[in-house]
Amino acid sequence: MIEIRGLTKRFGSVLAVDDLTFDVDAGQVVGFLGPNGAGKTTTLRMLLGLVTPTAGTALVAGRRYVDLPDPTGTVGAALEAASFYPGRTARDHLRIQALAGRARRDRIDEVLDLVDLTRAADRRVGGFSLGMRQRLGLATALLHDPQVLILDEPANGLDPEGVRWLRELLRGLADEGRTVLISSHILAEVAQTADNVVILDHGRLVAESPLSELVAGARPVVRIRTSRAEDLSALLTTAGIPATVVAPDRVEVSDATPERIGTLAAEHRIPIFETSTETANLEDVFFQLTGGAQ
Amino acid sequence: MIRIELLKLRTMRTTYGLLGIAAVLTALDAVLRGSRAGVNKRPPLDSATGLTQQLTITGFGLLMAAVLGVIVASGEFRHATATYTYLATPHRERVLLAKSVTAALAGLVFGAVTVGVTITVGLAFVAGHGYPVVLGAGTIARYAVGTTIGAAVLGVVGVGVGSLVRSQLATVLGMLVWSFFVEAILGGFFNWIGPYLPFTATTTLGGSPLGGGGFGFAGDSTAGTLPFAAALALVAGVALVVNAVSARTTVRADIS
Repeated sequence: MIEIRGLTKRFGSVLAVDDLTFDVDAGQVVGFLGPNGAGKTTTLRMLLGLVTPTAGTALVAGRRYVDLPDPTGTVGAALEAASFYPGRTARDHLRIQALAGRARRDRIDEVLDLVDLTRAADRRVGGFSLGMRQRLGLATALLHDPQVLILDEPANGLDPEGVRWLRELLRGLADEGRTVLISSHILAEVAQTADNVVILDHGRLVAESPLSELVAGARPVVRIRTSRAEDLSALLTTAGIPATVVAPDRVEVSDATPERIGTLAAEHRIPIFETSTETANLEDVFFQLTGGAQ
Repeated sequence: MIRIELLKLRTMRTTYGLLGIAAVLTALDAVLRGSRAGVNKRPPLDSATGLTQQLTITGFGLLMAAVLGVIVASGEFRHATATYTYLATPHRERVLLAKSVTAALAGLVFGAVTVGVTITVGLAFVAGHGYPVVLGAGTIARYAVGTTIGAAVLGVVGVGVGSLVRSQLATVLGMLVWSFFVEAILGGFFNWIGPYLPFTATTTLGGSPLGGGGFGFAGDSTAGTLPFAAALALVAGVALVVNAVSARTTVRADIS
C-alpha cells in the first residue's frame, strides 16, 4: 500500500532522510519510530507530496500522492497540532475539509463524536488545548473514511487517558483492516498496536521488522548498580562495550556478559553492588538501535 | 475549490473586520471631505471637480481588498493551514487559481460596499446643501463599476503578493507603505510615471483624480490618467505577473 524507495531529502548541507526504503502492506499497522530529528516527519511529508524529495520515490496505492484521483478519500493524515485557523470553530474546520472530498453530510458529527469533541464542536480552535487539537487532527484524518492513515506523533499533548483512548482508537482502526503508519518517538504509543516497526536514526533506516522478531533478536541487557557509574561506563566504552549511564548509580550494558563486565570492573577497582540480566524489551531495542536513551 | 475558499473567508473574522474597516474609514473620510468642501480652496460640491473628488473616496476600500487578498494567501502559512489545503488539493496551482477567484469575488463586495458608502455620504452632503447633482448618473455609475472592478483586481494582486512573500505582516505593511507613500512620492516627483503606478491606476479606474490616491483630494500632477481599458489592463497585468511568478516559485516550495 505504501512504497518508499531510495527516498532522500537534503536541506542545504543537512541530509534529513538518507536513501530510505521500506514498504507498508495493506491492512498493516506500522510504527514509524525514531528519536526527534530522525527524519520521520520529513519522510511523511514527502509521502504526502508536501516536501519534494531530493531523490527516490514515495508511493501510496502505487501512485504519488499528487497523482491520486481521490487523495483525501485514499489517505487521511494528521500531521501538526497547530494546523488550524484559531478563529474558526472545529465544526467549520471540518466543513471546509469535507468540501474537499466526498464526505457525507452527517460524517462531521460522526467524527466529532468519535474523537470526543462533540461538546466543543462550535468553539473556536484557538481556545483548544493541545490534546483537543490532536483529536481534531485525527477527526480530520478520518473525515473521508480513508483506507490509509498517516499519523505524525498523534499522542503529543494527550494526557494518559488520551493516550489510552488513542491506543484503543488505533486498535479499532486496525481491526477494520485499515493501513496505518504512525510515527512516534515514544514506543509505548505503538508497542501495543503495531504489527511492524520501521526505525529511523539520523535519516537512515536502522530496522524494519515485525515487533516480535525485533525483540527476539535483541541482545540481553545487563543492568549494574555501582557507586562509580560514570567511571564504569567510560571503562566499558573504552573496551569496546556499549554502556549507558541511566541513573547516578546505574549503568546499562547491552553487548557483554556479567562475567566480562565484573572482571573488567575488578581490574580497575570499581565496586559493583548488583547485576541483573534481562531480556531486552522493545524500548531497549529502540535505544540499542538509535544509540541512546531518550 | 472556490466553494472551499469562500467558506474559509466566511468563517474568518478578519474578512468582516477588513470590510468594516473599509466602510468606516471610507465614511469618515467622506464626512471629513464633505464637511470641508468649498472651504480652503477645496472645490464645492456643486462643481463637477468637487463632486468627483467626493464620490471617488475609495482608497481605503481598494486597500482593504488587497490586504484581504494577501491574507487569503499568506494566512495559510501564518497558521500552518497550508498543510491541510495542499493535502486536500495537491495541485497547488489550482489552489492559487481558486484563491485568486475568491479574492476577486471578495474584492467585488469590498468595492461595492465602499462605493455604496462614499456615494451615499457624498450625495447626502449634496442634498444637505441643496445643490443639484452636477454629475450624470452614467458618470457616477462608471465610477462605481470602475472601483468595484479595481477592488476585485487588487484582491488578485494581493493573493499573488501574499503567495510570493509568505510573511503576512511584512506583506501587509509593505502594501500599505507602497500605496500611501511610495506611489505618492514617485508620482509626485515624476508626474509622468504616476498613471502607470498600479495602485494609482486602480484608483483612476474609479474616477479618482491623479495624486489623490482615492482619498478625496487631487494632487497637482500635470499628467493625464490612463484610459479605463489601459488602466485595467495594467493592473490586471500586474496581478497576472505576480501570480505567475509565485506559481513558478514559492507555491512549489516545501511545506515543512
